[in-house]
Amino acid sequence: MKLLNKFSLINLLLMIFIFIVSSIIIYNLTQVILLREIDNDLAGIEEKINNYVSKNQMFPIGNPLDEERLIFQKTGILKPNRNVTLIKLYSAREKKMHNFREIAFPLNFNRQWYRVTIAKPLEGVHHLSQALLIVSLITILATILISLFLNRLYLRRIWKPFYESISIMRNFKIGSSESLIFPRTNIEEFSFMNESLSIASEKAKQDFLLLKEFTENASHEMQTPLSIIRSKLDVLIQDKNLSEKQSELVESSYASIKKLSRLNQSLLLLTKIENQQFDLKNQIDLKSKITQKINQFSELWDSYLIKSHIELNESYINMSPELLDILLNNLFSNAINHNITPGFIQIELNKRSFIIQNKGSNDKLDDTRLFSRFYKATINSKSNGLGLSIVNQICKVSKIDLSYKFQSDLHSFSLSW
Amino acid sequence: MRILVVEDEKELSNSICTYLKNDKYICEAVYDYNEAVLKIHKSDYDCIVLDITLPFGNGFEILKILKKIGKAEGVLIISAKDSLNDKVLGLNLGADDYLTKPFHLPELSARVGSIIRRKYFEGKNIIVLGDLRIDNDEKIVKYGNKIIDLTRKEFELLLFFVSNKNKVVTKAAIVEHLWGDQIDLSDNYDFIYTHIKNIRKKMTIAGCMDYIKAVHGMGYLFNPNKTEINNKRK
Repeated sequence: MKLLNKFSLINLLLMIFIFIVSSIIIYNLTQVILLREIDNDLAGIEEKINNYVSKNQMFPIGNPLDEERLIFQKTGILKPNRNVTLIKLYSAREKKMHNFREIAFPLNFNRQWYRVTIAKPLEGVHHLSQALLIVSLITILATILISLFLNRLYLRRIWKPFYESISIMRNFKIGSSESLIFPRTNIEEFSFMNESLSIASEKAKQDFLLLKEFTENASHEMQTPLSIIRSKLDVLIQDKNLSEKQSELVESSYASIKKLSRLNQSLLLLTKIENQQFDLKNQIDLKSKITQKINQFSELWDSYLIKSHIELNESYINMSPELLDILLNNLFSNAINHNITPGFIQIELNKRSFIIQNKGSNDKLDDTRLFSRFYKATINSKSNGLGLSIVNQICKVSKIDLSYKFQSDLHSFSLSW
Repeated sequence: MRILVVEDEKELSNSICTYLKNDKYICEAVYDYNEAVLKIHKSDYDCIVLDITLPFGNGFEILKILKKIGKAEGVLIISAKDSLNDKVLGLNLGADDYLTKPFHLPELSARVGSIIRRKYFEGKNIIVLGDLRIDNDEKIVKYGNKIIDLTRKEFELLLFFVSNKNKVVTKAAIVEHLWGDQIDLSDNYDFIYTHIKNIRKKMTIAGCMDYIKAVHGMGYLFNPNKTEINNKRK
């Protein structure tokens, strides 16, 4: 649920509650006030009757035009009580029962007690209260509608910088060099948020740079001792007295150095690709490039007894030539390294896609982890598990879609752009 | 032939000198920028093996000085940085080749040999070993008058052997030389044997002695001076 909607809903419920409560209060309050007004009127009439009787020594005659009903009732020596009550009487005019306010008071006339009752219809009060209720209900509806509309209109506008900042954050890439520019806003909370986001992203970027620099430096520093070890071995094997056993030891040292140095180079390469150090792009004739690669590799295929099926069509791609070379080398090497003997490789180049397939293990590889670093299909695999990760990274920066399939005994990697 | 090795890592420098030193090459080693500048002013070299990161300066500066004082030394850059920009910069400043650390010494030797041949045999890039003539421009190998018909890879392999004659070269070094270090092959280098076998066969047919000797299954040794053939092969 959007904050805006949630806010509107709470607002709405609260308003409805307040209006209902206030309507009830208004309704009751007007009734009380009007009733008191009528009671005052009745008291005024009582006084007038008392005055009239003591002045004229006779009862006033009720005016038929008056709404009030006037009754004199003789009670003799008994003095009646004074009281005010609500009663229901038949209204001749409207031909139904109606609420009346009645006042009864004692009156002494000719040494006799009379009980005088005056009844006044409450119809006006009723109508007035109803009118007030209707007015307040209409006000509720109008207010709700207007506030909903305003919420939509203004809240959306007020929250706009927030949504903009969020979308900027979403597009934030830690490796990119450009810094984030947030929209200016005069709302304190948002500018505080933007400031915090700016600081956090800058910090993250700096840390990332430091880490990258560290990786790069570490890799470079590692190359020198590796060079020394390898060169020492190169010199060592020149010794004519080297025994078979010693040679074996040297050979396995060589293999480990090679592995280490390749691992190092691969990590360095990944860092460089992530660093976007290969931003120079060219339009490349893929057909001739791949033909060249096939020539380079075909001898190897023969040596490994790998048969090939090749289908090349005209195709061009816009990417870094250096990266393309690494990409193809990795895919081709991969297709050899994981092949079986006698093996098979199939290469297909179309206008906007390239597919390389090879025979290999009989099981589908785990395609969720295939392209992640240090993934190895088998534990004792000789590869360092970075080859496909590099392929993946290159595809990412070159905007190429990379996918893996396993069908009819062939492991298939397809690139499309 | 005089070679100057400018490399601040003494151990690496020692290995390079030990490996390169033979009847043809004399090696001198310097370990920092200032020494290197002194040396290049004082004497002439046929090839300079130059590291980029040096104490008190860097290799690019040395290239600039060489250009300024008009020396046409062949320069091979060795750098820990596998960066295209550095390569381009180095080559533009007059270097002849660029080799990324860690490298195989036979590879370094082959590159140095190639630089020296290019620089000092003015177009006639021909290696003569007794009756064996390797024409590096025409990519033709002759034994006496007979042409030994080698494939490109076989030719490159023979040239690599010749550049490292009397030295044991590992299969890994051969693979890297022939297919480049970008190709990531698993540790099975048995396929090289096919190439070696072919070269041997073709040379023997031409009447040439088999100079290639397998060493403990680890690598090969090319020895054109040896007349007897060692039969202990893999």
